[in-house]
Amino acid sequence: MDRRSFVIGTTASAAALAASPAFAQETFPSHAITIVNAFPPGGANDLVTRPLASALEQTIRQPVVVETKAGAGGQVGAQVAASAKPDGYTLLSHNNGISGYAEVDKLFDRQPKTTRADFIPLARLIADPVLLLVNSQQPYTTVKDFIDDAKKRPEAIVYSSGGLYGATHLPVALFEKATGVPKLRHLPTNGGGPAITALLGNNAQASTQTVSATLQHVKSGKLRALASFGATRSKALPDVPTLKELGYNVEYYLWVGIFAPKGTPPQIVSTLSTAIDKAANTDAFKSAIANLGLDIGYLNAKDFAAFWDADAKRADDAVKTIGRVQG
Amino acid sequence: MKIRSDHVAGATFVTFGVVIFALSGDLPTGRLSMPGAGFLPKLVATLTIVLGAALFLRARESEPFSSLGWSDGKHAMLVMAITAAATALYTWLGFISSMVLMMLGLLVVIERRNLLRAGVYSLCTVMVTYGVFIWVLKAPLPKGPLGF
Amino acid sequence: MESTLISLLHGFSVALQPDNLWYAFIGCLVGTLVGVLPGIGPLSGISILLPVTFGLNATQAVIMLAGIYYGSQYGGSTTSILMRIPGEASSVMTCIDGNAMAKKGRAGAALCIAAVGSWIAGTFGIIMLTLIAPPLATIALRFGPPEYTALLVLGLIFLAYMSSTSLVRTLLMACIGLMLGMIGIDNMTGHFRYSFGLAELGDGIGIVPVAVGLFGLGEILATPSHKVVGEVIAPKLRELLPSRQEWREASMPIARGSVLGFIIGIIPGSAHIISSFLSYALEKRISKRPEEFGKGAVAGVAGPEAANNSASTGAFVPMLALGIPTGPITAVLIGALMIHGVPAGPQLVSDHPDVFWGFVASMYVGNLMLLALNLPLVGLFVSLLRIPYAYLYPLIIMFCVIGVYEVSHSIVDVWIMLIMGVFGYALRKFNFDPAPLVLGLVIAPIFEQSLRQSLIMSNGNYLIFFSRPISLGLVIVSIGLLALSALAFVLNRKDWRTKLAEAEVGKTP
Repeated sequence: MDRRSFVIGTTASAAALAASPAFAQETFPSHAITIVNAFPPGGANDLVTRPLASALEQTIRQPVVVETKAGAGGQVGAQVAASAKPDGYTLLSHNNGISGYAEVDKLFDRQPKTTRADFIPLARLIADPVLLLVNSQQPYTTVKDFIDDAKKRPEAIVYSSGGLYGATHLPVALFEKATGVPKLRHLPTNGGGPAITALLGNNAQASTQTVSATLQHVKSGKLRALASFGATRSKALPDVPTLKELGYNVEYYLWVGIFAPKGTPPQIVSTLSTAIDKAANTDAFKSAIANLGLDIGYLNAKDFAAFWDADAKRADDAVKTIGRVQG
Repeated sequence: MKIRSDHVAGATFVTFGVVIFALSGDLPTGRLSMPGAGFLPKLVATLTIVLGAALFLRARESEPFSSLGWSDGKHAMLVMAITAAATALYTWLGFISSMVLMMLGLLVVIERRNLLRAGVYSLCTVMVTYGVFIWVLKAPLPKGPLGF
Repeated sequence: MESTLISLLHGFSVALQPDNLWYAFIGCLVGTLVGVLPGIGPLSGISILLPVTFGLNATQAVIMLAGIYYGSQYGGSTTSILMRIPGEASSVMTCIDGNAMAKKGRAGAALCIAAVGSWIAGTFGIIMLTLIAPPLATIALRFGPPEYTALLVLGLIFLAYMSSTSLVRTLLMACIGLMLGMIGIDNMTGHFRYSFGLAELGDGIGIVPVAVGLFGLGEILATPSHKVVGEVIAPKLRELLPSRQEWREASMPIARGSVLGFIIGIIPGSAHIISSFLSYALEKRISKRPEEFGKGAVAGVAGPEAANNSASTGAFVPMLALGIPTGPITAVLIGALMIHGVPAGPQLVSDHPDVFWGFVASMYVGNLMLLALNLPLVGLFVSLLRIPYAYLYPLIIMFCVIGVYEVSHSIVDVWIMLIMGVFGYALRKFNFDPAPLVLGLVIAPIFEQSLRQSLIMSNGNYLIFFSRPISLGLVIVSIGLLALSALAFVLNRKDWRTKLAEAEVGKTP
């Protein structure tokens, strides 16, 4: 065999191999599935996606690999998944952030790298309500105290967030809009952990963070929870009123969802969502989530799609309220 | 005037600083009490220009540009070309194929080693590395169209 | 005090159970591997092995995962010393003098000093952790943005001592580093800066691709194999151990590095990266022979290695005492504990004494294991250098590529590494030293963010840096250092730097 025919032969067999999943569709999945995680290890996404992946391996009978592609507030991972081949072998684990990018890009006259239309929602795994928290050295004990003081001293109260236009910044904008307090002063940090640290050290006086991330500090008395952004009171903190109870129409959760890229064939989407449905209802997954202090907020593909539409409207609204930051 | 190495280096840094300024046109500078997104970049670019100019002016202390040795230049260019080609193929051909090709290229083209020995060496080291990453550390490495 | 001892003894009774010993050993072994191999840092190592711990109890899980973390700090220096590839940001400084020592045939000595220095620093860190974790953690919380800014100003002043080239050259390199550090999304306003539409550049340029390119690849480009022929750098077996003289030179830097690293390690945030840089600059500043740095000074290996290890132990203080993560790695460990139903936080000691004290005690044991694991490996690693250079450098390039790619699975990072390799080659030609560039890159994002955060807190008032005690103290130290240098400059114009500059001039007529 001369070299040329060898090369042609190799190329042909390579092409055949690459094409094979296409005519083996009815047996999806035939090899390992990758879930692209758009957030670094240690965050809620990672902690929720890994137990799901190991539960999903049982229900879909193929290895499920979690691949971290973190960066730019989740945009890198979203972009990787959006440009992957829509064959069901590449999925995305993402959170609230996926909704707001397009709106933020609009604000800066940039071409959005991904929009919501690039993804098919498969399932929502958790929904963790955020709390309005203050450092316990601050005098506020009720939401009313807080609002009164914020009105008396506009732009004097400093609040920390995990990042500009991020999942812990948007709820503050919604809160400001619903309660009519003039803008609070924003201290952006680079992640949920640093934002909580800033609040614990009283470098920021307030913050909106999830129940699971701050429960320890509320219990130890270092932080005070004034209100919850959930629709109902959190089981872990039954004494904390919801903003809805107090007459403010605000609702906000930090959620984690699984997505497939646009163009994934419908039968593969339904295979995947059935398998994720089964996996999310296994005891192993449920206990892992419960240990994290999270309420399971599982929604199947259909319910999640409806929730996502409503939630994305909230996110767009909040981004518009914040607008472009001066300086 | 004899061109010295620091003339070239200083001029390059000044140009670089100017390019940074040109690129940061739309970044708001802000004020000293509330620096904007463009504040520190412009400050550092200014410093670069000043220091680059200082280097240029004091270039007399440096060696002439023509005396810089470039004898290793050909080696460097070849190494870069082969490594860059392997990088371009890395995610497409997968770890094993691209790295074996790269090591073969380096050993055969640059070092003129025996093809067989170089091939065995490349294949062995790449396979051992692959095994350690995949099986011991369970870290994903890019796979090619042939599934490895 | 007495109760601490009793609790610690209880901890040892937990840690010395065969199961727990075994998991500590596995953790240390994987940690060493993760540290030695470039690219797989402790962060990915831990999160990859996290699912494995689902079947274990909380104590076993945290013992094993923490073993990976501190174990990786031991191995991190190996590729730096042997191949000039810094696998992690914290081992960048080791590459300079460590690799220079290897070139002089003292690779074994450098590796030994790194291992023993790591052990001393690690153990020192745990002793401090055992004794004074709770009060220290309270101080750590008071370290807000203004304190950070002041600390980094100090870091910028130390920059001047990073390199043996003239001040203008050092500052130019630092400026380039600072500028590279400002690429990416501006956290404060959401602007994309110099990212040319690449989402991968959104979080800025990583330290590992730049350092690997400048040090590892740059070195290879400038070293054609025909120049290395005949040069034997593989030492004889009995030369593997450091000489008495080398131990003596290493002892004080290890002590200083341990203390410095621990203090920086307890600060929440990303400051622990700068511990090894600060230690290097400090050693050079107080050394009697600063001109040896960069040419294989023992102190340049011992200090930074100790500092980086004790910083990684210091990072456990706020995690265990307060339940707040000092960085991504401790965040993963907190997550691992939470998955097992053990919330990290102030109540950890009282609610789960077995986990807490078992974990602390296991670190004493684990550090001993690591020493026993690493010293015999020195001989094995050094024999890598027996591979002829023509065969060795393709291997090094492969490690550079895989090491950079695996950090965040980004091919853009590999391209950055290649560009930096060419840049490093050019810098070498024009007699620039890349070390200050890397420190600039490390400092830029943290400095800019904390400066602007401080000004948000004070509404634009610079007095905030003088009204908080820790920040004021750091500012005074910075001013003192500047004044000292100015004084030295006036009294005795010929410090080592000017002498060196003159020597440079003399060399080139």
